[in-house]
Amino acid sequence: MSDTQEPRIGVFVCHCGHNIAGYLDVEKVAKQAGDLPNVVYSVDEMFMCSDAGQQLIKDKIKELNLNRVVVASCSPRMHEPTFRRAVEEEGVNRYMFDQVNLREHVSWCHQNEWDNATEKAWDLVRMSVARTRKLESLPVKTVKVTPRTLVVGGGIAGLRAAMDIAERGFEVVIVEKDSELGGHVRKYTHIFPTDQSGAEILKPLIKDVKKHKRITVMLNNKVTEFDGYIGNFLVTVKNQKTGTEEKLDIGTAIITSGFEPFKPKGYYSYGESPDIITLAELQEIPRSEGLVRPSDGKPVKKLVFIGCAGSREPGNIGHEHCSRYCCSATAKAASDLANRVDEVMILYQDVRTYGRGHEELHRLARANHVIYSKFPRDMKPNVDTTSGEIRITWRDVLAAADLQIDADLLVLSSAMVPPEDIVETSKMFSLTRSPDGFFNPEHIKLAPLTTHTAGVMIAGTAQAAKNASESVIDASGAAAKAVALMAAGEVEIESTVSHVIPDLCSSCHTCVTACPYGAISMDSEHDPPIAIVQEAKCKGCGTCAAACPSGAIVMYHSTDDQIMTMVEAFLCYSPELAKRGESV
Amino acid sequence: MTVQTTEKKNGDWEPRIVAYCCNWCSYAGADLAGTSRIQYPTNARILRVNCTGRLSPEFILAALDMGADGVLVSGCHPGDCHYTSGNLKARARWAMMETAIEQAGVNPKRIRLQWASASEAQIFADGVKTIIEQVRELGPIRSEWK
Repeated sequence: MSDTQEPRIGVFVCHCGHNIAGYLDVEKVAKQAGDLPNVVYSVDEMFMCSDAGQQLIKDKIKELNLNRVVVASCSPRMHEPTFRRAVEEEGVNRYMFDQVNLREHVSWCHQNEWDNATEKAWDLVRMSVARTRKLESLPVKTVKVTPRTLVVGGGIAGLRAAMDIAERGFEVVIVEKDSELGGHVRKYTHIFPTDQSGAEILKPLIKDVKKHKRITVMLNNKVTEFDGYIGNFLVTVKNQKTGTEEKLDIGTAIITSGFEPFKPKGYYSYGESPDIITLAELQEIPRSEGLVRPSDGKPVKKLVFIGCAGSREPGNIGHEHCSRYCCSATAKAASDLANRVDEVMILYQDVRTYGRGHEELHRLARANHVIYSKFPRDMKPNVDTTSGEIRITWRDVLAAADLQIDADLLVLSSAMVPPEDIVETSKMFSLTRSPDGFFNPEHIKLAPLTTHTAGVMIAGTAQAAKNASESVIDASGAAAKAVALMAAGEVEIESTVSHVIPDLCSSCHTCVTACPYGAISMDSEHDPPIAIVQEAKCKGCGTCAAACPSGAIVMYHSTDDQIMTMVEAFLCYSPELAKRGESV
Repeated sequence: MTVQTTEKKNGDWEPRIVAYCCNWCSYAGADLAGTSRIQYPTNARILRVNCTGRLSPEFILAALDMGADGVLVSGCHPGDCHYTSGNLKARARWAMMETAIEQAGVNPKRIRLQWASASEAQIFADGVKTIIEQVRELGPIRSEWK
């Protein structure tokens, strides 16, 4: 491998047009870098990421036999993959490349300090060169992917994902904790923007899933253990009724564990009268000719909705988000019920009927004489049940008037919140959660359906509050992600993992408990047993290396030496010493 | 090891700060500070590590030993760690380290642990300013090592 050879480093300093070169002296930085030990070529160039820039790297690798490359340009979070690919095309290992962030970390945030910015850039380049001298090439590894997907949750998203995958020729196992498929949607009498009930919508999908030869449905079951790594997970599923356990080999997983309708205790006297219910509870009342009060069965004359119950509350963690389904669902329910009652009123903070066909529902509600009244965000309506009536008083923003109504039925459009067992689920699959309580995607914009646990996807309301059609879109997307992995049959895994040096391990088990992924175990073949890293499970965080009291753990591509040499290059450099070869 | 200082000819001294940032939150937050053109002093040199959990106390102590006037460690908020809990481990080690450097006669104000997410560019930049100001008040590190 090339790391046994004397390092021959090429340094390429990028102008990024005016973005870097406009705020610091790139020529000077490149020139000084040329004098550093092992640097055989150094240049400043207009755009390193352009075809011409990449070609320059490749040409110089060939011409000068470079075996390591430093590019000083933008953030590696932007172009590291680009340059890694370029050097790899000329036979230089991707881990022999290092990038210096001169744009985001220097020129853009020090726009009026030419000398200081230049000095900082020079320090960073020197640090990178020092690190690069100590880089080691690492193998690019692949593992096989078991062609079977686990779908956790048999709601509308889980069903769609399962069908998509099965149709593409791969096996699926749906694990559902309930005794029936269909999740929340199955229970709803109306699913906007259609006029159908949830059960009607789901019927063909459930039928297809049940009869599909590649889909196994496990009802009354929960996942109790999730072990392994991308392409090779071992799942333990436990039947909640019989207590029997089953182990499954799967390659990928899609979490569609859904939401819970928020029970708004402490909001608008919820719980104090049977005639104060949530929108989800209203949707679960069976269809009938008229609408009657749950308390005494008398017809409802005055029906009132209050929006954002438990949603959009800045400062209230878990309730800061917009639940996204409620404005449209409320508009639909209100317009449907308008002709069965005397008066329908919607008290709202804002109306956000943003989806396709949703604004039409809002218009339909108004056309059906549903009265919309806006209350101020900081002065929510007051609901008082002490008189035996449901008395609502509020401030109407647009009329600038204080109003009052006695409702026969009050419906609270309550938030979507994560189910209680999401804590368990997040631990089991090593998933993180956003402030709204739902699972974090790998990237909010670019990778909304994959997670930081490679091979595990999220879809539907497991990812965020959203409506049924959006959940289905997610499901098809997540299915495509799973299929892509299984169709390829194998997947590249990061080589930046930890490694235990057997001779130094003192069998203390510290790393075993430090690892958040359970990637380290004790190898009992040795006497005494020593720690061993299962590389495909390791994510490369380095917590074990920092925790090891014996210094027995090496973090590939982030070794103690590679880090400390940068610190040294920053702090202990002097041109005189460098000339004598005594300084980094 | 030869400790160099940044004392300029006219006697002005500028603090030198080593800033360890985790790749997923604070390094990205620093990127956003740049993208947002937030201006902050040039004294800190950012080192990218995968996670603040990667940082053994030695990395901080060695930096001070080599002449860093201050060390900043910036990671994901508790609960937001890309690796589930690396930042919590960093926080646990931090308490021990503060005691250790104090015993070595170094003012613990020279080190700073902060959380800044990928979207908290201003918080990141403010944190850099804070450590620089703290260190500026204390003077060069070599005045403290015993």
